[in-house]
Amino acid sequence: MRIFKLLISPRFIGFKNSLKKSQSNSRLKILTLAGTGILFWLALFFFTYRVLAYFSSQEMIGDILARHLLAMVFLTFFSMLIFSHIITALSNLYLSQDLELCYSSPASLAELFLSRSFYTVIDSSWMLLVFGLPVMIAYGFVYSAGLNYYLSLIYVSFPLIIISASLGIMVIMILVRFFPAQRARDIMMFLSIILIILLYLLFRFLRPERLVNPDAFMSIAQYLGALKAPSSPYLPSHWATDLLWARLTMYSGSQILNYLLLWSTAFAMVVIDIWLAGLIYSEGFSRAQEAKRRSRAGKRILEKIVSVITRPLGPDTTSLIAKEVRTFFRDNSQWSQLLLLGALVVVYLYNFSVLPLERSPIKSIYLQNALSFLNIGLAGFVISALSARFIFPAVSSEGQAFWIILSSPLSPRRFLWSKFFAYLLPMLILAEVLIIYTNYLLKVTPFMMALSSVTIFFLVFGIVSLGVGLGAVYPNFRHENIAQVATSFGGLVYMISSSVFIALVIILESGPVYTILSSHFRGEPITYLQWIWIVGSFSLVILLIILAIQRPMAAGLKAFNNYEG
Amino acid sequence: MITFENITKIYSGIKAVDNLNLHIEQGTIFGFIGPNGAGKTTTIKMMAGVLRPTKGRIYINGLDIAKEPSKVKKIIGFIPDRPFLYEKLSGIEFLRFKAGIYGVTGDSLREKILYLLNLFELSDWADELIESYSHGMKQRLIIASAMIHEPRVIIVDEPMVGLDPRGAKLVKELFKEWAGEGATVFMSTHTLALAQEVCHQIAIVDNGRIVASGTSEDLKKQAGVEGDLEKIFLKITGGVATR
Repeated sequence: MRIFKLLISPRFIGFKNSLKKSQSNSRLKILTLAGTGILFWLALFFFTYRVLAYFSSQEMIGDILARHLLAMVFLTFFSMLIFSHIITALSNLYLSQDLELCYSSPASLAELFLSRSFYTVIDSSWMLLVFGLPVMIAYGFVYSAGLNYYLSLIYVSFPLIIISASLGIMVIMILVRFFPAQRARDIMMFLSIILIILLYLLFRFLRPERLVNPDAFMSIAQYLGALKAPSSPYLPSHWATDLLWARLTMYSGSQILNYLLLWSTAFAMVVIDIWLAGLIYSEGFSRAQEAKRRSRAGKRILEKIVSVITRPLGPDTTSLIAKEVRTFFRDNSQWSQLLLLGALVVVYLYNFSVLPLERSPIKSIYLQNALSFLNIGLAGFVISALSARFIFPAVSSEGQAFWIILSSPLSPRRFLWSKFFAYLLPMLILAEVLIIYTNYLLKVTPFMMALSSVTIFFLVFGIVSLGVGLGAVYPNFRHENIAQVATSFGGLVYMISSSVFIALVIILESGPVYTILSSHFRGEPITYLQWIWIVGSFSLVILLIILAIQRPMAAGLKAFNNYEG
Repeated sequence: MITFENITKIYSGIKAVDNLNLHIEQGTIFGFIGPNGAGKTTTIKMMAGVLRPTKGRIYINGLDIAKEPSKVKKIIGFIPDRPFLYEKLSGIEFLRFKAGIYGVTGDSLREKILYLLNLFELSDWADELIESYSHGMKQRLIIASAMIHEPRVIIVDEPMVGLDPRGAKLVKELFKEWAGEGATVFMSTHTLALAQEVCHQIAIVDNGRIVASGTSEDLKKQAGVEGDLEKIFLKITGGVATR
């Protein structure tokens, strides 16, 4: 036990030290992050509360809906927890840099395994607190639950976390027993992305929004059939749902069986994991330390295209962009996210293709143009979200090899603009495809088609510049995984700035566009004052776009000039 | 030719380099030795343009690195002590990348890359991703990449780290050859035997200050001891000279 405590102590001491040494600007970071977290938390609470309040107002089916929702929430959390534990267990048990030191210590295998499993549970289960608690509290509020319900939340969550952690750790130990850890990570990454895409597409094509509109069904039996959530009495999430539902509805029957099932399964899983670790953990760890296999670099058509396109930019920019393309497509954790992007685009376009415009009470031509306008914002947000994942981390992606750039004659300006151009073209193509195709589906006027295409074209310049510039202001060259960079404080600042930029452009354009469209449909001329307003608004849009391109790059350049390797 | 004028570097209130003044002639192999934390790597990184001095100026071949960083970096070959590279590039791609950002083009580039890969015994691994290289292979690739633009000044931090005896011998011979051709080599090292063997001039640095400099003979006189560089080093830096 003493050794176990020692093995887990570095994380706590490190955390304490980082809090102690935090400067005033990192305190600001913590405050901003905490503020955003609380806002998100409150939004989730109020959203769930509204949904549940609506359900409870529906006679007969209200409780059924709420119970099904609870079952779905628990099943989702349970699956997410297992998956999250698989990912963090791989790092904590096999790939962390401090493992060599721990393994060479006289700690027993069980102590070592338990200390790393402890880290895994801490790293993975915080999300239950963040995402789960507001939902559960909303249930408590709507059903006026007593203290018993809130205490049960603790008794239920704890074994549920232990079971999911044990399952996740078990999966990863078995996987690493047969594949080297690096390979196992690639396999997991790929499978998980495929799984997420399938679930996402399935969810989208099932059109869950129909469930809140019972009129769409022929009979109540059909409606209840459609409601059926996937559940099984053998799943721990089912036991948790049963138990908490009984507490919410003040059901007087005993819940002792569900408690026993949850806790005994948790204990049994821990025992099985320790036993399994004794058999295979050590061997798996040894395999994880073996040198990476030789892997040859392939020749790609894409690289040749890049080389032709970038040739006029000079050899330095060409080299940098070619390097960017190569490293992106050879990193499985990067390119595989393109599959997610594909799914996102398909669902985005599908949603527009099923819009029931003809059934709308609003005059269709107005609605089509209004939707097209809204679409600029939506496409902008899609591009922003993608940029947060791929463009904001572009500077940080140099990693510890950044000394190569710092010691090279490549000027900071050229380096940052090379990054800008490397990402601009694919983002422009994507944005224009989204806008033009959705406008085609909406059958908008040529004016709206032109306005949307031009607006998104320039918005993308600003979004990419914000990504590269702020990515240079908030770099992290010592990341273990590039995806962490997107979720950092800087990533949050980027998402906020980018959203504000898009919203401002939309707000500035919406008024004049409404005036133009109204006068067109009513056949009335635009007045002199209206013209001044239109020109003023569009001038402000142009100014805003220029600022969004110029300011972040200038800030990034200034930050770059202060970098020290 | 390298000149340091009153170079000082302060990190969070601590002086890592304290008013350093140096002048190194062209064609010299200059050894920069000192205990851990003496300020060697900081000095080297300032020369390579990776760090900026808090005070003072560094001139390389008459150019001020603060004023004309790109021009200076074009004539420098920097070899750091830790081989962090782009792991997802192959060896040959990395050399091509390095050539690109140093503006090296032309028909002879391919031959030059193949020559360097061959020289550093990496030809068999040219198309393999760097992530599968050993520490020593990465170090050899970094040295090869530092040569791609034929620098006039080579700045090396711990050149022998990770190299096998054959690689170490090759590097020693290359240093002598480059200096013979008029290039200046500035290297920091803990391998005192290497410094004694190849360096024309040596400076011993301690607590960010140069405490002795000159040829091996000059250092012997300054320290007032006979024997090899190890004894001189220990005497000057306050260690135990003999047991």
